[in-house]
Amino acid sequence: MNVYRHARLLRTIVLMIVTGALLLVWVLPLIWAFVVSLKSEREVLAYPPSVVFEPTWSNYVDALFGSFSIVDSLLTSTIVATATTVLTIALAVPAAYAFARLRLPAKRPLGFYTLATQMVPPVGLVIPYFLILNRLSWLDTYHGMVIVYLTFSLPFAIWLMVSYMEDIPWEMEEAAFLDRASRLQTLWHIVIPQVRGGIAVTVIFVFLNAWNEFLFAVQLGGNTVRPVTVAMYNFVSVEQTLWAKLSAAALVAMLPVVIIGIAAQRQIVKGLTVGAVKGGARK
Amino acid sequence: MSPKGRVSLRGIRKEFGRFVALDDIDLDIEPVEFFALLGPSGSGKTTTLRLVAGLDTPDEGTLTVDGVDVTFAPPGERDVAMVFQNYALYPHMTVRDNIAFPLKMAKAPASSIDELVREAAAKVRIDHLLHRRPGQLSGGQQQRCALARAIVRKPKLFLLDEPLSNLDAQLRLETRVELKKLQRNLNVTAIYVTHDQEEAMTLADRMAIFLEGTIKQIGTPAEVFDHPNCVEVAAFIGSPPMNIIPAALNGRTLTIEGHSVALHRDPGHPPGPVIVGIRPGSLRIDPEGIPTQLYLQENMGETWLLNLKLGEMIVKMRVAHSERSAEGETVPISFAPGAIHLFDAETGLRVQVN
Repeated sequence: MNVYRHARLLRTIVLMIVTGALLLVWVLPLIWAFVVSLKSEREVLAYPPSVVFEPTWSNYVDALFGSFSIVDSLLTSTIVATATTVLTIALAVPAAYAFARLRLPAKRPLGFYTLATQMVPPVGLVIPYFLILNRLSWLDTYHGMVIVYLTFSLPFAIWLMVSYMEDIPWEMEEAAFLDRASRLQTLWHIVIPQVRGGIAVTVIFVFLNAWNEFLFAVQLGGNTVRPVTVAMYNFVSVEQTLWAKLSAAALVAMLPVVIIGIAAQRQIVKGLTVGAVKGGARK
Repeated sequence: MSPKGRVSLRGIRKEFGRFVALDDIDLDIEPVEFFALLGPSGSGKTTTLRLVAGLDTPDEGTLTVDGVDVTFAPPGERDVAMVFQNYALYPHMTVRDNIAFPLKMAKAPASSIDELVREAAAKVRIDHLLHRRPGQLSGGQQQRCALARAIVRKPKLFLLDEPLSNLDAQLRLETRVELKKLQRNLNVTAIYVTHDQEEAMTLADRMAIFLEGTIKQIGTPAEVFDHPNCVEVAAFIGSPPMNIIPAALNGRTLTIEGHSVALHRDPGHPPGPVIVGIRPGSLRIDPEGIPTQLYLQENMGETWLLNLKLGEMIVKMRVAHSERSAEGETVPISFAPGAIHLFDAETGLRVQVN
């Protein structure tokens, strides 16, 4: 009898049970929403909840093509979230590089204030932003919404990217300088390929935040710019809440984020393995 | 065409905060020379190399390459290539792309890049590894890849920052020979930073000894080894280095720990305290000599190293296998008067004896 092998087996089992229990906390609402989305509105409100019912896809058809169709809103959300993500990465990468590498005057205070913008509660910013956009006539416009989102995502993205950039050995960039690469060429050829993992993480966070944002979208958007989070709110009215349709819409709205997550995950893994250089070439 | 790659440093000073890394450095490196910058850590040798590379700029002084002032020129405009201590290979690129990178940045025609890469890789015998990434190479192969990247665009200056220090002992010896061959074939000026004096002695045509931010001596390895110009260099060069023993001089008579030794001739130094330097291999066992006590003996393979107590000092002596004795025993030692180096006790500078 191998005592150690038993102990290891036991440990694995306990670990799986704990992990499973934790996972359940996250997955249960999703499963619940999926089950609800397959019920009729009447069955949703039945008490006790019906376990056996006839599943129907009609809620998905309604959510997508019915009177409260979310298709246009999905497109809006895609435009807003994609534009926010692309602009954030385009601006955050060079900014993070500057923070990580250049000898800038007032680098420390700049770094602090960049992060300090994250400390203001969003609710406190809704009214100022509303007034500013109103004065600029940018309410209910794509560029207005994207710029507002940038004010949140950019500081966060810079802060996240700086740590990735700092991990690249400085000699590697010096080698590139000696090889006649300019700063920008070094950033493009040497630094960015090595922080792909960091960029992927940033993309996920920024896209996710822009996609799921509700507070600013509902205040600063309108009929032109109505992201899916706001559109879903149409299923909630004073008279009733259309739980089944709301669940169907929510699950559909989740899909793009899940796809982006899976796609970026491959890059994160790649980014991690690229660093696995033995023999001190990447100290 | 006269060979290129003459480097001159004049009055170079470099500070990092309050720390003076380099102070008043004057140095001339001739074209096609293999020049070693030798010194312990923190002596300023790497800083000097970085100034030549353009990765740092001096606070004072000028730096010229082939007569052109490049003191503040950016690294890319100096036509220098460098092999870093940790190689600084680009981990996301294949060996081929690593070697091709300097050519691409120099906008070499795409048609010629492939051939030049193969040629450089063949010179360091990694042409069969071009498709690999640095992470898939051994330490020695990574080092060759870094060398190939440095030689591919035929630079004017070839800078090496302790390139062998990450290799194991066996590989280091092999690579050392190849490095020297490579430099001769390429006919290029090489500046080589090392703290390993054996490397410097074997590789360099000439070398500069750095200590505490200044150059103490410049010369061929033989000159530096045989005629160290100050007590600091004497105490640094050699493995193990010279024994440094305080003594008193009076005319031709040298007194060490109360024992008198007659010199060949009068060094012409005023009577008073001096410092005697003597290599462990120049000491011999002599029944008439100065008595010492054997403190510890170390097996060095072909020879033994005796640690002898002379007064409060430990004197190291290299002996043949047959000459070792038991610890605690008395070992009388002497030396040929011609084998000693004499230094002024005040200034530490060499006093000519022989």
